[in-house]
Amino acid sequence: MKLKKIGSVVTCAVMAVSLAACGGDGNASESVQTGNVQTQTDEAQADSTQKEENTVGAGEEAGETVNMTLILRGGTYADVIKEALPEFEEAHNCKIEVLDMTFDDLHTGIALDAANEEGTYDLCMVDGSWMAEFTENNVLANLSAMGYSFDDDIIPNTTSICKVGEDIYLAPYFGNVTVMLYNKAAVEAAGYQPEDITTLSDMLAVAKKAQESGANGFAYRGDTGDNIVSDFLPILLAHGGWVVDDNNQPTVNTDEFKAAMNYYMELIGTGSAMSKDDVTAAVDNGSAALAIGWPGWYVPTEDSAAGYTVSPAMTEEGGTVYNTSEYGTWCIGIPSNSPHPDLALELLEYIMDPEVQLASIPNGGVPCRYSCLTNEEVLKDYPHLEVVCKALENGVYRPTIAEWTEFTNILGAEMGNIMAGTKSVDDGLNDAQAQLEALMQ
Amino acid sequence: MKRFYADGKSLFAYKMTAPTILILIVMTIYPIIFTVGYSFTDYNYLKGDKAFCGLSNYAALFSNAYFRQSVINTIVFTIIAVALEVLLGLLLALFVNGLGWGRKIVRTLILLPYLLPAVTVALIWRMMLSPNYGIVTQVFTAIGLPVYNWFYDVKTAFGSILLIDVWQNVPFAFLLVYAQLQTVPEDQYQAASIDGAGALQRFRHITLPNIGNGLALCAMLRTIDTFRLFEKVNILTGGGPANSTSTITQFMYTYGIKTMKFGFASACAIVMTILVLVLSGIYIKKAMK
Repeated sequence: MKLKKIGSVVTCAVMAVSLAACGGDGNASESVQTGNVQTQTDEAQADSTQKEENTVGAGEEAGETVNMTLILRGGTYADVIKEALPEFEEAHNCKIEVLDMTFDDLHTGIALDAANEEGTYDLCMVDGSWMAEFTENNVLANLSAMGYSFDDDIIPNTTSICKVGEDIYLAPYFGNVTVMLYNKAAVEAAGYQPEDITTLSDMLAVAKKAQESGANGFAYRGDTGDNIVSDFLPILLAHGGWVVDDNNQPTVNTDEFKAAMNYYMELIGTGSAMSKDDVTAAVDNGSAALAIGWPGWYVPTEDSAAGYTVSPAMTEEGGTVYNTSEYGTWCIGIPSNSPHPDLALELLEYIMDPEVQLASIPNGGVPCRYSCLTNEEVLKDYPHLEVVCKALENGVYRPTIAEWTEFTNILGAEMGNIMAGTKSVDDGLNDAQAQLEALMQ
Repeated sequence: MKRFYADGKSLFAYKMTAPTILILIVMTIYPIIFTVGYSFTDYNYLKGDKAFCGLSNYAALFSNAYFRQSVINTIVFTIIAVALEVLLGLLLALFVNGLGWGRKIVRTLILLPYLLPAVTVALIWRMMLSPNYGIVTQVFTAIGLPVYNWFYDVKTAFGSILLIDVWQNVPFAFLLVYAQLQTVPEDQYQAASIDGAGALQRFRHITLPNIGNGLALCAMLRTIDTFRLFEKVNILTGGGPANSTSTITQFMYTYGIKTMKFGFASACAIVMTILVLVLSGIYIKKAMK
C-alpha cells in the first residue's frame, strides 16, 4: 500500500516537473528571441573572425559543413530558390535542406517553431498577410538590425508590407499579385481580345459565351476560406469595396460588398469550383475560359494556350477605375531563433541579388525588381512580366491585422455557404459581419 | 509495507510493470491531463498567454454552428463508413475464405489500398476524379453518364470522401474478419451439414456467433480511426463546400491549430475524445459480454 503511495507521489512529482519544464511562459521565449536579435546586432559589429565563429550553430565547429534548413512555400516559389542554392552551398561550405509546404502548413510550421529557444529554420518564406501576426509575436528577426537594407531596384510598393516603421523584417522575393487568367481561344471565340476585357461586364460576357459553347466560363477555387476570399477580392475591389475600414473594422455587409457578391454569384454560375491545379489546367486546355490566379501558377509564353492580364478595374465602361491587383507577394525572412543568423542573412542577400533573380525567370520566377521585369531581353520571351510589373507597382495588400487567418476562416466559410446556395447573399454576409465584429472587438 | 514485502510476487509484479506504467503515464495520461488543463485556458501558442478562462472555450464550441455541423458530419460519416467497411469486409472475407485457388493472390490484392498512406490515397483520388484529366470523368463522359464536380458540389462531396475512406479501409475489416474466420472450428460446419443446415443457416448459427467478437472489435477500431478522419478532408475539400464535409478534426485544425488558439483546440479535442469513448463504449460493452 505504501509503495503505491510512494509511486503516486513520484508520478505526481515527475508530472509537475515536466509541466513546469514544458510550460515556460511567453516572456521567456520572447526574451530569448529578443536576445537573439541583440546577438545578431553585436555580431554585425564584430570582427571577421568573430563573425565566422558565429556563422556556425551550436555543436558545429568552424570549417565544418554547416547544415541549413529552409521552410518555403511549395511549387514554383520554392523551386526557383532551390535552383539557385548549389552555387551558394559551394561558396559557403554548407548543405541546405528545403522543406516545401502548403500555404497552411507553412504558416503553422513557422509559428510552431517560433517558441523554441533555437529554431529549426534558417530562412522562411512568409505571406504578407501573416506579417502583423509574426512581427507582433517576435517570430521574425529584424533585418535592419542585422545590416540589411533595400536597394532602389526593388519595386517600392512591394516593400511596404515588409517593414514595421523603418525596420525591415522581410524581403519581397516572388512578385505574386492577382491576375486574370484567360484561355486565348475562348476569349477570341467570345469576340474579344484579352486587352479588351477591361470591365467586369466584359469578363461576364466572355464567361457566358464560353458556357454557351459547353465549357466552364469561370473556374475558381472553392475549398478553404483563404482561397475563396483571395479569388473574390479583385472582384470586390473593382466594386469599390473592401473587407475592413480604416480602423480595421469589418465591412463585409456593405452595399459594395453585396453588389460584388451578387456579381460573383453570376460569374461562378458560368463555371465550377476546382482545385488550384485544375483551375490552371482548365484554362490551359480550354475547358474553362477565365479564372482569377497568380503568376506563380502559370508561365505563359508566346505559344501557350493561356495567358494572363490585370483583373478588370471597373464594373462598367465609364465607371470608376479601382486598383484591383491584390498582393500575394511571397517574402523571405529570417526567424528570430534561426540557428545560423549570419549565414542566413548572406543567403537572403544572395537570393535577393538582381543577377540571381534574373536567372530565376526561366524557371518561373517573378522578381519584384525593375531590372528584371523591364529587361528587354526577358520581355521578348516573357512578355507577361510587363503586366506583372504594372500590377506590382500599384497592388493592394490584404489587411495587416494579426487576426487575418481567423478573419478569412469566418468570411470564407460564410461566402462558401452563399456560393453553395445554403444561405442568401444578405444572410451570409450579415452573419459574417456579426462574427467578424466579435472577432475584431 | 510489511504485507508488501511479505508478498514477494507482488513486488516482482510491480517492478516488472513499472516501466510500462511510467511510459503510459508520460506518453498517454500526461498529455491528456495537459490537454484538459489547456482547454480551460485561452492559450495562444504564439502569444504565450495562458489565462484561466473557465468553461468559455466549451461554451464557444457548442455555440458555434460550424462545430455543431462538424460533430453531426463526423458522427454520420463514422456510422455509415464503419457499417459499410465491416459489411464489405465480412463479405470479402467470406468470399476469399471460400476460394479454393488463388486465395493468397486475392488476399494480397485486397490489402493493397490499406497499405497506402491516407495522403497518397487522397491525391490519387483527386487525380482520378479531376474534372480535367481524371480517368473517372473521362470514362463517365465516354459512356454517357453524368459527370459531377465531385469534391466541390454539396450533393456529392460528402459521398465522395465517404467512398474513398471505405475503399481504403475495407481491407482492414477484411483482414480482421478473415483471421477470425480461421478460428471457427471446422467440425461445427460438418455437424451442421450432417443435420441438413443450408449455407445461410450455417452462416447465421455458426459463423456469426463465432466471429461476433471479431466484428465488434473491428467496428470499434474503425470507429476510433474514422472519428479522427482528417487528411482526406483537408486535402480534398478543406471541409467545404459550405462546411458539408467538415469533421471535428478539420474544424479543430481550421479554427484552433491554424489560428494558434490551442486552448480552444484543446477543448475541441476533449469533446472529440469523449464522443469517441461513448461511441466505442458500445462496442467494448458488446465485446466484453
